[in-house]
Amino acid sequence: MLSASNIQFRTKKRTILDATDLTVHPGEIMAILGPNGAGKTTLFKLLSGDSNASLGVVKYNGRNIAGLTASQLAAVRAVMPQHSTVNFPFTVREVVELGLISNKVKDPEKVLDEVMALAQIDHLQGQHYDQLSGGEKQRVQLSRVLVQIWEMKPFPRYALLDEPTSSLDIAQQHAMLEVLTQLKRRNIGVLVILHDLNLAAQYADKILLLKAGKMCYCGPIKAGLNECLLETVFDHPIQLMHCVGTDQLIVHCSNKSKMYPSTRLVQ
Amino acid sequence: MMASGMVNSKKRLNYWVLLSLTGILCLVLLISLTKGAYSLELMEVLAILTRSLGLDLAGFESRSAGVLLQIRLPRILLAVLVGGGLGIAGAALQGLFRNPLVEPGLIGVSSGSALFAVIFLVLLPGIADNFPLLADFGLPMFAFLGGLLHVLAVYYLGTGNGGGNTATIILAGVAINAMAGALIGLTLFYADDAALRSFTFWSLGDLSGASWGKLPIAAIFICIPSLLLIRGAKNLNAMALGEKEAFYMGVNVKRTKVILLVATALIVGVAVSLSGMIGFVGLIVPHLMRISFGADHKLVLLGSFLLGAILLNFSDLLARTIAIPAEMPIGVITSLLGAPFFMGLIYNLKK
Repeated sequence: MLSASNIQFRTKKRTILDATDLTVHPGEIMAILGPNGAGKTTLFKLLSGDSNASLGVVKYNGRNIAGLTASQLAAVRAVMPQHSTVNFPFTVREVVELGLISNKVKDPEKVLDEVMALAQIDHLQGQHYDQLSGGEKQRVQLSRVLVQIWEMKPFPRYALLDEPTSSLDIAQQHAMLEVLTQLKRRNIGVLVILHDLNLAAQYADKILLLKAGKMCYCGPIKAGLNECLLETVFDHPIQLMHCVGTDQLIVHCSNKSKMYPSTRLVQ
Repeated sequence: MMASGMVNSKKRLNYWVLLSLTGILCLVLLISLTKGAYSLELMEVLAILTRSLGLDLAGFESRSAGVLLQIRLPRILLAVLVGGGLGIAGAALQGLFRNPLVEPGLIGVSSGSALFAVIFLVLLPGIADNFPLLADFGLPMFAFLGGLLHVLAVYYLGTGNGGGNTATIILAGVAINAMAGALIGLTLFYADDAALRSFTFWSLGDLSGASWGKLPIAAIFICIPSLLLIRGAKNLNAMALGEKEAFYMGVNVKRTKVILLVATALIVGVAVSLSGMIGFVGLIVPHLMRISFGADHKLVLLGSFLLGAILLNFSDLLARTIAIPAEMPIGVITSLLGAPFFMGLIYNLKK
């Protein structure tokens, strides 16, 4: 279990993140949502071990993150930051292989092949990373992150991803989240920052809503998808609808001047 | 199946690359041994070199043996160590700064070493007379200290939070180079004639001071840090993605950086103290390796050592033979080769 209890992050001048609690169990996907500047990336950095909380504790499988070395941490969690640049002519396969740098695996070639097939980049493996398109780069980074925790282990692992869908087209966004869904079966818990409420509604098990450094909601997706709550978090009119024929929820963000009152179906 | 085949062929390619570089190096060394103000036959050289093994290939004059063993061989071995050291240090610094334009000379490590070496020679001349042990170790250690201080200064000035921005790193290098140059000038103001003459040596580079006495220090303080760098090649690969990413993948970034900075400063400091500031080797060599064989630091680092040794020996060969019996400063040759290369790099970077 990945847990954070009452974590805060302060600079000298202001509090960027205030009293946040969360738990991610292996086998579930938690989406972090909130407007720009809400503190999503700060929370992400505290959870990944990149910066230390001013107050509160982050624990991986019951062990305090402050007591873990970089390589111990790398064995239980993999992290995909927003932008990664590579300044030297590495090939795609070399970049993905870097994910294995601190973890010994029995059959590295098999792990690499499986993950690259899953992320649909196996046809790119001989190419240079810096010649890829934005979407391809993102899938290569995803593969690098996944190989780090791909091999089955007796303990739960976690994947932390910061806006992994930002450069992807619609089909690839769904492919990305399908991949994350598959991780559930490998005893992996997923924590992902998303911008698209619809993607969260469709794939997440839990959501955490942040606004101005404060946690507004953390819990099951069903209760979190509440028009009032979402409207206060995003300061924007939001409507929820059921998709015709399926039980799926659609989040509609209407223009502030034009509302569609007749389509309110939920709550 | 295809993938494992790919990996094997990559490994095989790496072995071939290293093997051929070693072959080329041996060839350049043999040619270097024969050419010079006092020309020797190849058979003569081989006979002199193998005599101690008990072989008797051909007859030779004792004068030839003297030239070869006392003058030319130590000089060529020093060129191997210094060239290799500068090559591998350049490759490691480029990896650390995540920037292909970084070079020990350009970012002020060399001038920092030179500054401290000059300070040692000019302001502390008594030490060498009173403590013979310090005379051998003091100069390289002082140069190392200077290099370390300067590489730290550039690192913290030029990178700050986040990324190695090319412009800030180069600017930091310019600032530190100017500072070191001014301080060298100030030190020379208090120097006597002998020290002034040796300043030309610092600024342009010179291998003619090589002797068997200096080689052990060079060998220890260049080879051991080089091995440390090669051992850290994997971590350097991870750092190429970014320091944050390397940490996420389980690399102890802080320790890796300390090892890298100390090892490169040692190599450059010792190289500068023995042969002055030789520019551009640390820039060209890692570049050629990356362009030709890819960015994997396991190959780039070791290959840069070999290619650096080849390049410096080749340059020294030119320096010794272009204007016989006079000798050109080797820094002139490497800069003549390196500066156009650097311009080409900047031109390509613009595109």
